[in-house]
Amino acid sequence: MNPTENKTFCASEIDASCRVPLLALFGGAALWLVAGLALGTAAVMTFHKPDMFADCPFLTFGRAQAAANDLLLYGFAMPAALGVMLWIFSRLSQSPLALPIVPVAAAHLWHLGVLIGTVAILTGESTGQTWLEYPRVAAVLLFAAFLLIAITAVATFGLRKARELFPSHWFLFAALLWFPWIYSTANLLLPFNHLPRGVVQPIIGWWFANNLIFVWLTLVGVGVAFYFLPKISGRPLTGYGYALFGFLTLVFFGSWVGIPQSAPVPAWLPTVSSVAAALAILPVLALALVVKKSACGAGVSCKGGPFCFIKFGMLGFVVSSVLYVSEFCPRYARVLDFTWFNFGVTQWQLLGFATMIFCGAIYEILPRVMEKDLPFPKLAKVSFFLLASGVLLYVLPLIIGGVEQGMKLHHANVPFAEASAVALKFLRISTTGQLLILLGALCLLLNIFVMTIHWKIGLLKQLIAAVTAPLESTEVKL
Amino acid sequence: MSCENSSCSASNGEPTATRSAAPMWIIVAALVILFVGGYYFDQHSGWFDPKVYAPYASGEKLSAYQPQSGEAAALAKGKAVYESVCGICHGSDGLGKPGQAPALAGSEWVVAKGFNRLAHIPLAGVNGPIQVAGKDWNMAMAAMGAALPDDSLAAVLTYIRGSWGNKASAVSADDIKKIRASMGGASVPCSCDQLKAMPE
Ligand code: HEC
Repeated sequence: MNPTENKTFCASEIDASCRVPLLALFGGAALWLVAGLALGTAAVMTFHKPDMFADCPFLTFGRAQAAANDLLLYGFAMPAALGVMLWIFSRLSQSPLALPIVPVAAAHLWHLGVLIGTVAILTGESTGQTWLEYPRVAAVLLFAAFLLIAITAVATFGLRKARELFPSHWFLFAALLWFPWIYSTANLLLPFNHLPRGVVQPIIGWWFANNLIFVWLTLVGVGVAFYFLPKISGRPLTGYGYALFGFLTLVFFGSWVGIPQSAPVPAWLPTVSSVAAALAILPVLALALVVKKSACGAGVSCKGGPFCFIKFGMLGFVVSSVLYVSEFCPRYARVLDFTWFNFGVTQWQLLGFATMIFCGAIYEILPRVMEKDLPFPKLAKVSFFLLASGVLLYVLPLIIGGVEQGMKLHHANVPFAEASAVALKFLRISTTGQLLILLGALCLLLNIFVMTIHWKIGLLKQLIAAVTAPLESTEVKL
Repeated sequence: MSCENSSCSASNGEPTATRSAAPMWIIVAALVILFVGGYYFDQHSGWFDPKVYAPYASGEKLSAYQPQSGEAAALAKGKAVYESVCGICHGSDGLGKPGQAPALAGSEWVVAKGFNRLAHIPLAGVNGPIQVAGKDWNMAMAAMGAALPDDSLAAVLTYIRGSWGNKASAVSADDIKKIRASMGGASVPCSCDQLKAMPE
């Protein structure tokens, strides 16, 4: 028998193998999160003080808002998700990361892509397609980096000893396949070649946005949550059947949603979309039940710890998904289209769901892979309350304001300008929320940053010690 | 480096899931939504017809709004003119209204072989006693069709001659033009006897 097959690894060994790649992924991600939130705040200043950045073309609403959204998704959510995924895969495989050098290189490629993309958007070189704003170079970098990390993840997956899969495996593995598929398709059809003309372009754009924000984020967010809920509570994941049902229906029906009801396209497209949206309620319901069964009554007092993040994130998942699905109900869509509502829902999916889950996961993983406690554990707890209250304060006014704006837009006697002005008072509250989220993100950044510095200083000390250590002849064995 | 001694904890604290089947109710719920969704799709999608856009839901509904040609076009136009000009009195079902106007459906004046007498009624008007489908009327109708262009009047007459069970030949705009010319601009309402004196 091959001796390596039976080899068992210490948890600390597995964690240590992830250290460098995860630091590279998380460090950049936290930086982009802060940058994205700051840019997003700068973008909405247009509504509070229109002339604030009037002489600064970089910070006009169209550029800053697009760059901010992309930073939240491509800058933070994706590398954070990929890092968490790598760790989960190697933990579930009970084996150190395969090819640990590959994700380190990929992380740098990824962050370089995000940097190029962001600079391009701010200088006006955006492609103009939602969620595909990054120019060709940046898109190719992101795609290549994703593939590299996916290869590492799959190789690590291949090393697993137990043949049986854990539910997180399905979700995360699907996410690894999903993104390269949709990102390459959408990029090749839209910004790269502009092959389809006219009305087909927005159709592809809507398809991509839905598959990215609704399907992909759900796959990774839920996959990660399904790992940490039982892990932290120390009880097995309950509701396996619901999880399987939720996974399959999400993959089958979720990808058909996305064409707005007001879209100027043949009637069957929005009709299919709204039928799929009604069906997409099922995975949301099923996954919510798994979370309820696994998290409630677990007896874990979270007090701002990772468990809190995951629970809040999953709550955000359920509520934002239900709101998202309602956008495709013709009756509501008539009122909600062209208001702040849809924007608010997207922000909830990005910040209230994905960001919360990944922040929680990072706080849980970091001390393990660094074999060291967080430098500011109090700040980590504070950041939960900042992020949670910030998210609610940010998105709820947008959603409520959107509904009111929509009602006014539909009122024959209310002038357009008045309907738009309604949203202003809601935007004021929501910007306060944005600032709280920014503070929370700074706490995360500070923790990761200081931890990295400590680690680098430690490395340096080791190096110096190794160099200056007297070489004893007896130690040299050949 | 493997984990031989117990000084490090083996990574066996990984989460597990207890296997269980998906419950029946959620599968039933899925089937119900699929069924309702299928019905909704049938009602609203136009079955992948690339020409059907909201708020229209099917190719047939859409074609009802399209400009038509030939006989169908003449009938559609006749119906429209009838409903706006004549229907108020004669009813959109052509059955007339008691004390207001006699029926056109089954009226010997309408379904006569020729349409010379018929055309005179809206062009000049009728006055005094007149028998329609066995009922006696004694009222007056002004020259309700005199102001209509030739093709509209022809379309109305074609419509009333071809609807509600009436089956008589169509009337063309040229026919109306000739009859109008033969009247020499006179629009004094005819009496029943005057009409009967004319060729069918
Ligand atoms: C203001 C109500 C009114 C309108 C509008 C009207 N009619 Fe009449 N119509 C009458 C009345 C009343 C008589 C019966 C006259 C009489 O008793 O002499 C009549 C009689 C007739 C008759 C002969 C009797 C019969 O029922 O066959 C015809 C044909 C006729 N109308 C056609 C038309 C057409 C075609 C139009 C539209 C262009 C029209 N009418 C519009 C009131 C109206």
